[in-house]
Amino acid sequence: MSRYGNFREFYEKELRSDLESIDLRRKETNKKALTALLITAIAVVTELVLIPGDTNFPKAVPVIVTAFAGLVAIGIVSESYRKEYKEKIIARIAGYADEGLVYSPEGFIPKEEFIRSRIFNLSCDKYSGEDYFRGRIGKTDIEFSEVTAKHRNINGTGKNRSEDYTIILKGLFIIADFNKNFKTHTIVLPDTAEKLFGKFGQTLQSVSFGRGELIRLEDPRFEKEFCVYGEDQVEARYILTPSLMERILAYRKKWNSRVYLSFLDSKVYIAIYMYRNLFELRPFKPAADYSFLEENLRFLTLLTGIVEDLNLNTRIWTKE
Amino acid sequence: MLYAIIAAVAILLISAILIFNSLIRRKNDVENAFASIDVMLRKRYDLIPKIVEAVKTYMTYERELLTEITQLRIKALSQAITPEERVIIENRLGQQLTSLLVAVENYPDLKASANFLHLQGTLNEVEEQLAASRRAFNAAVTIYNNSIEVFPSNLMASMMNYKRRTLFEIPAAKREEISAKPSVNMA
Repeated sequence: MSRYGNFREFYEKELRSDLESIDLRRKETNKKALTALLITAIAVVTELVLIPGDTNFPKAVPVIVTAFAGLVAIGIVSESYRKEYKEKIIARIAGYADEGLVYSPEGFIPKEEFIRSRIFNLSCDKYSGEDYFRGRIGKTDIEFSEVTAKHRNINGTGKNRSEDYTIILKGLFIIADFNKNFKTHTIVLPDTAEKLFGKFGQTLQSVSFGRGELIRLEDPRFEKEFCVYGEDQVEARYILTPSLMERILAYRKKWNSRVYLSFLDSKVYIAIYMYRNLFELRPFKPAADYSFLEENLRFLTLLTGIVEDLNLNTRIWTKE
Repeated sequence: MLYAIIAAVAILLISAILIFNSLIRRKNDVENAFASIDVMLRKRYDLIPKIVEAVKTYMTYERELLTEITQLRIKALSQAITPEERVIIENRLGQQLTSLLVAVENYPDLKASANFLHLQGTLNEVEEQLAASRRAFNAAVTIYNNSIEVFPSNLMASMMNYKRRTLFEIPAAKREEISAKPSVNMA
């Protein structure tokens, strides 16, 4: 950890004064944003009243333009302290969680890596992310970020053609070096079929949609939560030892969300569903709120904790 | 009426073929899984002389252990033993290799030797692969045993003279109970 006894001490000595100055900025900005909002509202109302409705000129155009301009202005004003919060506070919390952890607020796991993991079958058409962390914990390289991936659906043709998006993943994506070497692909998915349909679900699972063979593991609790596909029955079990299954179950419980794992090229790729946006300042709540910062740290240590939780630093096999 | 009989016969025939094929496939899965255990065991046989060679100059008090490991390897490789005997020999060999790795703790020089560390890593790897192959074999046998015992494939299985296979006994893995409360708030 660091030279501070606990997070409270670190917070008081390192973060507090900066948080207070960010709070001042936040309040000022909120005032500006409120003013901008008020001006926009007045302008919109004036336009609605003054522009005559019976001409060819569509009334909606100036109204929409004004409202849009107002929102952009508010966005620009609030961006500055949001950025400062991430660069000054989150970056330092990262350093507190683990000294080697590097944070880049704008960065994210590249789309290619997301696709390479083969966790999701839907094609990814829209991809974005933020809050990228990278580091080496013990012997294990790890990187993770928030990610939003969407799939485009096209409905109808010609004039009736419309588009909408299905969310593939909104949450966290982790890539960590695995402690064993392996050549084939193994994937661990949350088991929706078996939970819903019991034994019949197992039959449904064996239709694997190009994911390889169904791997039936001996731990019934693991089988109830997850469904495993792999290209090689033996290698899948070489990766998923009884102890790792136990650890994956516990890790999933900690998040209490859908967790996907993909083992590929001696790495583990993990996707976790989470609708909440992490590592953000809340515009109408004080920044210098200790419990809020502590929660940020808790999420962060849960993410870096994957190395400990899956025992990735144990290198007693041929992989260095 | 005739069409109905033809249809019924056709359905029966097709089901019989499907059951027959699936039984064959399951038997082959079992044999395939068994072969993969054999591959790992052979890897272990290849490794043993190297390990014995690497440790024997250091280890002064474990001569007997080393001799027993070498003897067990020779016995396991000989053609004159039954499969049951072989399983017993393999188990003993596994235990003795574990004791050897424990005994190494008393020899700091040996623990520091790069050659030995490499061999130890390889042995751990082979043991882990071996455990995986045995679990894969057990999974294949369970599916096979189920299919020869449930109706209607049991009828076909008895005609084909398929018998139940026995599972490998795997030493109970250490179950680590890890505290598992949700530690974050997902709201």
